[in-house]
Amino acid sequence: MDLLRYRIRTLFKYKDLIQELVARDLRLKYRRSFLGYVWSVLNPLLTMIVLTIVFTNLLGKKIENYPVYLLSGRMLYDFLKISTTEAMKSVINNSPLLRKVYVPKYIFTLAKVTSCMVDMVLSLGALFIVMVVTGAKFHVTLLLLPFVILQLYIFCCGLGFFLAQLNVFFRDVQHIYGAVLTAWLYCTPIIYQLDERFPRWFHIFVKGFNPLYYYVAQSRDLIYYGRFPGPRVFWGGWVIAFIMLVIGVWSFQRSKDKFILYI
Amino acid sequence: MGKYAIEVENVKIRFNLASENVDNLKEYAIKLVKHELMFQEFLALQDISLKIKKGESWGFIGVNGSGKSTLLKTISGILQPYEGTVKVEGRIAPLIELGAGVDPNLTARENIYLNGLVLGHSKEFMEKHFDEIVEFSNLEEFLDSPLKNFSSGMKARLGFAVATVVNPDILVVDEVLEVGDMRFRRKCNERMQQMLAGGTTLLYVSHNIESVQSLCENVVWLDRGKIRMMGPADEVCEAYKEEQEEQTVKRKEEKRARWREKGKKYDYLVVGAGLFGAVFAKEMAKRGRRCLVIDRRNHIAGNIYTENLDGIQVHKYGAHIFHTSNEKIWKYVNRQAEFNNYINSPVARYKDELYNLPFNMNTFYGLWGLKKPQEVKDRIAAQIADLGITEPKNLEEQALSLVGPDVYEKLIKGYTEKQWGRDCRDLPSFIIRRLPLRFTYDNNYFNDRYQGIPMGGYTKIVQKLLSNVDVMLETDFFEYRKEHPDSFKKVMYTGMIDEYFDFCYGHLEYRTVRFETERVEEANYQGNAVVNYTEREVPYTRIIEHKHFEPEEERKNPKDYSYISREYSTEWKPGIDPYYPVNDEKNNALYEKYRALADQEKNVIFGGRLGAYRYYDMDKVIAAAFETVAKELNLRPWW
Repeated sequence: MDLLRYRIRTLFKYKDLIQELVARDLRLKYRRSFLGYVWSVLNPLLTMIVLTIVFTNLLGKKIENYPVYLLSGRMLYDFLKISTTEAMKSVINNSPLLRKVYVPKYIFTLAKVTSCMVDMVLSLGALFIVMVVTGAKFHVTLLLLPFVILQLYIFCCGLGFFLAQLNVFFRDVQHIYGAVLTAWLYCTPIIYQLDERFPRWFHIFVKGFNPLYYYVAQSRDLIYYGRFPGPRVFWGGWVIAFIMLVIGVWSFQRSKDKFILYI
Repeated sequence: MGKYAIEVENVKIRFNLASENVDNLKEYAIKLVKHELMFQEFLALQDISLKIKKGESWGFIGVNGSGKSTLLKTISGILQPYEGTVKVEGRIAPLIELGAGVDPNLTARENIYLNGLVLGHSKEFMEKHFDEIVEFSNLEEFLDSPLKNFSSGMKARLGFAVATVVNPDILVVDEVLEVGDMRFRRKCNERMQQMLAGGTTLLYVSHNIESVQSLCENVVWLDRGKIRMMGPADEVCEAYKEEQEEQTVKRKEEKRARWREKGKKYDYLVVGAGLFGAVFAKEMAKRGRRCLVIDRRNHIAGNIYTENLDGIQVHKYGAHIFHTSNEKIWKYVNRQAEFNNYINSPVARYKDELYNLPFNMNTFYGLWGLKKPQEVKDRIAAQIADLGITEPKNLEEQALSLVGPDVYEKLIKGYTEKQWGRDCRDLPSFIIRRLPLRFTYDNNYFNDRYQGIPMGGYTKIVQKLLSNVDVMLETDFFEYRKEHPDSFKKVMYTGMIDEYFDFCYGHLEYRTVRFETERVEEANYQGNAVVNYTEREVPYTRIIEHKHFEPEEERKNPKDYSYISREYSTEWKPGIDPYYPVNDEKNNALYEKYRALADQEKNVIFGGRLGAYRYYDMDKVIAAAFETVAKELNLRPWW
């Protein structure tokens, strides 16, 4: 208990640092670019346009208001992808500093995930623009979206911790994870609809073993369908997030003292 | 509140080199299969125990990789000890180079904040002290440029300013200040001194031993992860420096040994390990030329050789007192050895009378009881006028016409006759051109600006000069050349020039001195280093009492015995040690003939007192050696 209190106190002590690190990431991301923050919105928009053109014309079955369908899932995936990739490198990238001064190492991982989350929230603007342009209906359920984002944030923190510590010891994790992310994208019903065209085992695989499915499903329910997510995906989302967090924190704590020897 | 700010007990830091090199899965799998993962262990620190009281300043020295930084990191909490404990009381501020870690793309302003936050300050705190930091670092104009454009010195400045914005309990400085400019370093030093006075504990790592000595009270010398020595700064630093030097000499010696084994040709064969040869060889070696120094004698240093006899440095080949007016030469010799402030003021004994030398007011007072310079001048002028010598035909007349009969009879005549083994009337007048008379009460024999004796003897100087040169003693040049004609490219010959040409035109003449050195069971034999005996009846010309050359040594270790050397002038015969060239017309002409031969000799340079058949003081020898090197290598003259 004391340890926990101590940990919370350190976290509190370094809150300004996290804040500053997040601010730095956001500031640096668009420094010296003409449009600045607008890119946060423009980027998903452009991707969306490409994907919409490709998939509405190539895929046989039409999905109603594909842009909104796509974006409501794609946004979460992008967040997962960027935040965990960045988190994975966070310890190594800060090695010069970590070698010289004592700072809790998780601060950097946490700050990275957080700044990506903020960036994601900012890019929600793109979704709203698309919704307005395509004349989609704004459901009340949209207001519950923050809960989904929070779940995914916790999940990404956990995964980020796990990857960050692993990456310290095995640099090839970066490359493997790149492939995993691509596979992950196609194993999640983001650009397609998970319907009866897919074999049964695939349904079981996606719904049973793909954590991202839970968050995409929730988000889509809230934004696209305008309904409350089912209890399975809702509670499942929370549980998975915390399990991932525990795994991440545990693995990180276990090996953090050895980082210095490898970075 | 404990007494100690830092307590380190039996700390061991272990690195696993094998697994540290593994940063990818393939290697990991291979090593896992081969069971190599936990083998190569490396102890970065072993058995380190340290107790540092609050407010103390500690320096850490050691060669690269000795574990200094590892130890500081362990104390800072960056590294966890594998064994042992580290207890730290108080807030540690490590001095880190700003931007090294945080982000080179951010501006200095942003980095200051981030750096402060990394050190655990709150944002509010940083805002409050921001101006202070900027002012100390003196970088107002660059606040909004990205840190990546900063020089390392500027980064260090910012880092220092941030780290010391409040007095931390413990300040850790790890070599970052070395990049700053002089002014900033001074400023940092001041600040650190201030903080020390204010009770901050300082841990300081630097390769600049001087700065460690000036800042730290205590020093820990780490060597391969262990504490080699720990204690007061001066003591440890001296020991460290000494070892460093030894190691350098050893490394160079090893390198030379490798060359020798390979049988590589020497660039220069230096004949004679005296001062000229040693300076020549050293300066050549410094410029990358390989030299072999050979000498016939069984010791180095030629005629400036001093031998330690029962703790007294005995000048085996006559008294040598270093004196020069050339500042560069003075500095040069002082780099090779520490000099004392010995001033040569010899005394002359004539029968039962004692006179000061050189001829000065003390001498004249002894002779005539006159106290005023003008009276002395008048007396001498009157004496000279009485003689009525217009054109001196021999040495006696020459001396008389310069100083008058009193000085000549008592102080010059006998001495000179003993020196040359001839009556003064039979000696040519040119031997004495001038006899300087001093109308002040100054007994300092030399007029040069710098004067002294190297503490510990001259041999040490030559030893140091030759520390990076191969030396072979008891080796005769002519035999060596016969046996190894191809082992060298060029010869630097400092021996007798006539001997080189096998005396083909006859022998050049030298005036030579014989020494009878004896130990006397008397703490103080004559009360002065040099006493001249100016009467003809005493067979020796001078007595040297060697201990008086190094009075400080005698003060430190008083001895109830002494070493004295009686000097006898002897006729020179071929085969005995030559001392002073006799630069009369006959000999000079002979030398010129040899010189002409020497000029035709390719790949042999002649130099030094015997090679050039000239009398040189030691400073002139050094200058001549330097000139020879410069000429040989087409360098700009040294002065």
